[in-house]
Amino acid sequence: MTRYGGMGRTRPKKLTSKASIPIVREQDIDIIDDEVQNALQQVETGVEKAEESEFHLQAAINAAAQGKVNEAHIPTPETVISNLQYDELYPPTFSQPATYIRFSSTVEDCCSCPYNMTEEDDVFFKIMNQKRGPSSRCTEDQFEEVMNFFEETAQAKQPFAAVDSPPVLSFQEMQDSMDAAVEDSVKRFSKDIYEHWKSRRMSNNNQSLLPHLKFETGQETDDSDPYVCFRRREVRQIRKTRGRDAQSADKLRRLRKELEDARKLVGLVRQRESARKEMFAIERQVFLQRSEVKEMKRKLNIKDDDEDLINQKPKKKPAEAPAVQRPAAPQLRMPPKAGTQTSDDLQLLEDVQAEKENEILRDIKQNIAKHVKWNEGYVDFTRAPLSPPPEKSFEAAFRPAITTQLPTPPSSDSSENMMDTSPDVLGAIALRDKLASHAMDLDDETSKLPSFRRRIGRGGRLWIDRRNLASRCRVDMDPLKADRFKFDQEDSDEEIEFDRDQYDIQIMQHRAIMAAKAREQAAAAAQAHAQAQAAQAQAQRRAQAEQSANTNNQAPTTGPTMGSNPGPGAIAPTAET
Amino acid sequence: MGVSGEPTGTPDPVDKGFATLNTVRIGVKAMVQKDGELRKAEILSIRQRKDGPSFYVHYVDFNKRLDGPSKNTQKRPRAGSREVSATPDRLTGKNVNIGKVQRPSKAGGKENRGDETPRLSIGGSEAVSSDGTPKPESDDVDMIDIGFSETKAEKEQSKMSREQELERLRTSGSMTQNPTEIHRVRNLNRLQMGKFDIEPWYFSPYPASYSDVDMVYIDEFCLSYFDSRRAFERHRAKCTLVHPPGNEIYRDDNISFFEVDGRRQRTWCRNLCLLSKLFLDHKTLYYDVDPFLFYCMCTRDETGCHLVGYFSKEKDSAEGYNLACILTLPQYQRRGFGRLLISFSYELSKREGRLGSPEKPLSDLGLLGYRQYWRETLVELLIEPHREAFSENELATMTSMTEKDVHETLVVFNMLRYHVFPPPTLSFPFFLLSINKNPN
Repeated sequence: MTRYGGMGRTRPKKLTSKASIPIVREQDIDIIDDEVQNALQQVETGVEKAEESEFHLQAAINAAAQGKVNEAHIPTPETVISNLQYDELYPPTFSQPATYIRFSSTVEDCCSCPYNMTEEDDVFFKIMNQKRGPSSRCTEDQFEEVMNFFEETAQAKQPFAAVDSPPVLSFQEMQDSMDAAVEDSVKRFSKDIYEHWKSRRMSNNNQSLLPHLKFETGQETDDSDPYVCFRRREVRQIRKTRGRDAQSADKLRRLRKELEDARKLVGLVRQRESARKEMFAIERQVFLQRSEVKEMKRKLNIKDDDEDLINQKPKKKPAEAPAVQRPAAPQLRMPPKAGTQTSDDLQLLEDVQAEKENEILRDIKQNIAKHVKWNEGYVDFTRAPLSPPPEKSFEAAFRPAITTQLPTPPSSDSSENMMDTSPDVLGAIALRDKLASHAMDLDDETSKLPSFRRRIGRGGRLWIDRRNLASRCRVDMDPLKADRFKFDQEDSDEEIEFDRDQYDIQIMQHRAIMAAKAREQAAAAAQAHAQAQAAQAQAQRRAQAEQSANTNNQAPTTGPTMGSNPGPGAIAPTAET
Repeated sequence: MGVSGEPTGTPDPVDKGFATLNTVRIGVKAMVQKDGELRKAEILSIRQRKDGPSFYVHYVDFNKRLDGPSKNTQKRPRAGSREVSATPDRLTGKNVNIGKVQRPSKAGGKENRGDETPRLSIGGSEAVSSDGTPKPESDDVDMIDIGFSETKAEKEQSKMSREQELERLRTSGSMTQNPTEIHRVRNLNRLQMGKFDIEPWYFSPYPASYSDVDMVYIDEFCLSYFDSRRAFERHRAKCTLVHPPGNEIYRDDNISFFEVDGRRQRTWCRNLCLLSKLFLDHKTLYYDVDPFLFYCMCTRDETGCHLVGYFSKEKDSAEGYNLACILTLPQYQRRGFGRLLISFSYELSKREGRLGSPEKPLSDLGLLGYRQYWRETLVELLIEPHREAFSENELATMTSMTEKDVHETLVVFNMLRYHVFPPPTLSFPFFLLSINKNPN
């Protein structure tokens, strides 16, 4: 059986990673079909394509495939034991701590001075020390410090020495950059060592003596230069600004502004306080000098009005007073006035109050005028509610009593019927909406009509309430006058009924009787109304006056025992009467 | 021409024939004596010395770490080489075939040899013959070349070279060495580190001046580099570091692992990368070390914790790699440290609860190391006595290896078999996992 013959017959089922594969040991099966199926499977090595074919690698792979792992070996260049004096260079100082080592110092932290003497330096170093006395000799460490100082200064002053090759820094420049941080030893030896450093720099094209790695310089040659290494990674793409980011940015900006403002504020306060301090000092001086003047005056017995002892503005207070008062005054928070307050601070309380009073009054007047102006051309209907109050009950509604055109009075057996007939009766004045309150629908004419209503009182008594009974004076009233009252006619059950016939003897009489009895109750009822009026009233007192007037007004409405009782609220007193 | 090994149809004309010492130049391929055998090699750099030119050559089908100088007395330019008639003996020559060999590389440190692919692959396919046994020296190839060149190539030579000459004069402006060629040549000569003298394998962007000195000294602990022995000794007198500058995260009787943050320890990690670049061809030093953690394995003695090997790992790998670069220092290789490093990288992945795989490409040594680790890890699981069956997914979860790595390892080591069941009639296959474990 050939390899492909076998495979052609049995196509391998696709292997999924989750499929459980039984483990079979080699000794447990008789035949291993070595028509090796896996030959078809290409396996990537992961090695660079060009290197996959390398001789030693192929040899090793094949050896491993045949199980000869030990032969799978790739030759590498040899390493040999160095002849360096290892023990001298690496002293055995390490002792392993019991715990795991935690360490964060950097290489720079661990090897103090970065400059290291070279063989070249050694030659110079020896000569230099020979010239010096044994006491003033330079140590290797000090030498390195000096060299390092030169190197660092040069690097700082000529950062682009590698590119523009400036002249070597002069010793003068070196000295100039020596500050307190530079050690004494550096200063001491720098002059001697400078020439050596300079000559080394010169021979090195003024390049740094310590070889440096090549980092990117931003030039185009960077990319192809194999020596350039450790580039900064490109800044990661910033995600598109989201709303939230913008918000937080805003917040930060605002916070920053606020802090800035606070800082400014504090600065201003500081300025203010220092100004005040200055002022105190001056005042104190003034005071002292005045007291001297006073002493002097007493001594010389000069008598005048002591104007020189007080501040400029003539005050009723005695000369001492400002001095006493002054320390207290600035405690009020009036810093800007601090300088000038002495002349102005003696305003009278009454004046201020009067001023304020005036201001308020002016304001009120203005508002009134404004409101008047707004309401120009409008009629104020606000005393009656715009929307009808809910109909309490059918019986509560008044109906116009029109009898003339009917041969007989309408049957009162059913309220519904009466309702239905009324439009017919009224014709043009028909109720537009059966559900609407009659009271609201009554227009001028109907409101003038006498009306009635029927209701069942306590104990099943039947009441007929009448309204708008034609009175004698009413008949004669000219339409102009009548017009004044046309809205007074409106009635709802809650609304206080204003009887326009106030001067009816009966009513007046009744009012007199009722006034005492109904006072308490009326006061409560009037309260709400009074409050509405009080809002417009300018003074509480006036509102009170109005209230009492209303109470008077009300009496007749609650009063009419003998006929038109306006609302259920008045029933109780009615019954009593 | 086809015989000479350009069947991929490279448009560049290849001149063949015998070259004299004077006509040899960079980019020329020649047969070079290597360990008593002749091997085809490409000349990467030529230096003029008093006793004649010295060649730095790359042996075709050998890893670059075996590149090196070849004395001109041993060199015998042969067929298959590039014949050039222009002035050849300057210190550094321009590569004749610019378009073919140069490939501007973005990654300065990571330049690879893909540019040679056409030529190399041919050699490889010939050398590793169909029976799978590598044949390093194939005399027939050589013979064919010779025969061919003597008859045909030589005739063409005169004509072609003139045209080529003109072409080169027209296109090549600068006489400076092509920068991308630099890193193909090892730049450090020798390395002293700890108790060892080490021969570097590849280019590493140490300061350019270091290529002039015979020995570069590396401090074993802080990994700083010095071109002067005196400076190195002075440094040693001052340096107080005795272990990698990070936190010890694992310890046993023999070794310690340190975790070093590339951001916190920039200098040390840069030093480490420069050092490891000497032994890792495909490592890139293009970018800085900040986004990596370095896990450093050390042996301990009374002088300190000596770095043996390390691997770097991205703090946040977008592609699910659990390891970026891995190196056992050459002086400690072939002792199983690499396996320990690999194993440690998977232990970290297990703690993270993720599957991971090393970043590609692998080096040849890396591939061998990983395959061995993968195989041993899987076999250890499979030979557990009470196991009846496994899915690849389970294996992946238990080892933190990716499913792909699991599957490929099973395939490569012939552990995943397809069994026809029952043998004669039914053609529906099922899976049989058999352990093909070789005792060693």
